[in-house]
Order: sequence, then C-alpha cells, then structure tokens
Amino acid sequence: MQLFLMVLALSLVGVLVSGVLFAAASREAQPAERAALVSPAIAAGEERFFMMRPPVSGAPVSADVLALQIERHVRLEQAAAERFHQFPSVEALRTPTLSPLAG
Amino acid sequence: MPPPDLVHGLPAADAAAVLALGVPRELSPGEVLFRLGDRADAVYLIRSGRISLALPMRLAGRDQDVVVEEYEPGHTLGWSALIPPHRFTLTATAPLATSLLEFDRERLRAFCAAHPAIGYPLALNIAAVVGGRLQVFQAMWLREMQRTVDNAHA
Repeated sequence: MQLFLMVLALSLVGVLVSGVLFAAASREAQPAERAALVSPAIAAGEERFFMMRPPVSGAPVSADVLALQIERHVRLEQAAAERFHQFPSVEALRTPTLSPLAG
Repeated sequence: MPPPDLVHGLPAADAAAVLALGVPRELSPGEVLFRLGDRADAVYLIRSGRISLALPMRLAGRDQDVVVEEYEPGHTLGWSALIPPHRFTLTATAPLATSLLEFDRERLRAFCAAHPAIGYPLALNIAAVVGGRLQVFQAMWLREMQRTVDNAHA
C-alpha cells in the first residue's frame, strides 16, 4: 500500500512538473511560431488568395496585359499626334498624354 | 456610313460611279481581312463595323499582335495595294461584324485611266489618306524619340 501511494505521489508530481514545463514552453514558442507562419507578403499587408496568387510587386506582367497597355498607349499617342496633324505646333507635338508608358 | 474619304469632294454621280466599283464583303467578328506580308491587290472602304490594324511585338518572350490603329465606317485602308511592292505591312482584323467595299487594284486603275476627271481627285483623296497617316506616324515617332532622349539623359 505504501509502495502504491509512493508511486501515485511520484506520478502526480511528474504530471505537475510536465504540465508546468509544457505551459512555459508554449508561452515562449507562440510568438515565434506565429511569425514563422505568416509570410512576408502577408506581413506587408499584401492581398493573397490561399497563398497561390503571385505577389503584386515585382511580378512579371503577362504578354496580354502588356499588349493592352501598349494598345492604350498607342491610342493616346495617336490622338495626340492627330491633334498635331490638325493644328501643327511645337507645343502640340510635345503635349503629354496620360499613358503610364509615356513616363 | 459617313462620307467616305475615298470619294471626298467628288460630285454625287462621280462618287456613286466609284463606289459602284466596290464589291461588298462581310467579315464576322474576329475574322482576318489580311495578314502582314500578304499580297495586296485590293483597297477597302469600311461601310459598317470596325477594322483593327496590328503589328507583331515580342512580349514576355512570345509574339503578340498589338493593335496600332483602328478604323471605323467611311475610312479607306489597304493602300499598300496601290504602292509597290504590293504587300500588306500590317494585319487587319474585324473585332466585330464588319461590312466593306473591296476595290480591286486593276479595276480601280482602269477606271481612273478611262475617267481621268474622276481619277485625278480620287488619286488626291488616296494621297490625302496616305499623307495623313504618314504625318500622324511621324509625330508619334518623334514623340517616342523625344522620350527616349529625355530618359537617356534624365
């Protein structure tokens, strides 16, 4: 009986010590784990969809998107050139457009 | 259709005689009228719809047609047919259902030779179309050159 009580007491002490150690370890690990799980893109506030969408900044522009940008640029530039054709002047030749490719 | 640039300034009867030389042609959306490098044997007048003219560019590692001009009813296109070496230098596509008049080069030339009083103003109208495009593209080229120089020395 004494032996049984001693084993039981030691087991309880062991459980308590394990619990205290686990709680201490969990408190230390949580902030680091959280930081590791969050990608730099999310930390930077970037919108991601299931982490599959490529980051916006620095991403290569697709040929279709680039073609649309160029076509818009050509339309704006052609309109500016046609104004020059109608009313030729140095100022008309240098009139800026809103095209982002004209920067 | 707005007054066609091809017969601008011609008396109504003469304009009608010229337009009667054209053969109607219908294009469905997305249909290609001619491709860069094709033989150019006809000039086209847009009656309805629209024609996009595109040039191939190398974008993101692949060739892609980029629209450089769009024309609407009343405009003439395909003047490569009138100028040696008679090859189209752009690709023309109808982005929507489009109706055209197709003028065969030889037929047009024979008509002008037989009717110089109509042929002369007709030739001036074609020269105006070609000259206008040239001046617009000169201005576009100069604007791009100016930006290239500005960026190089910024």
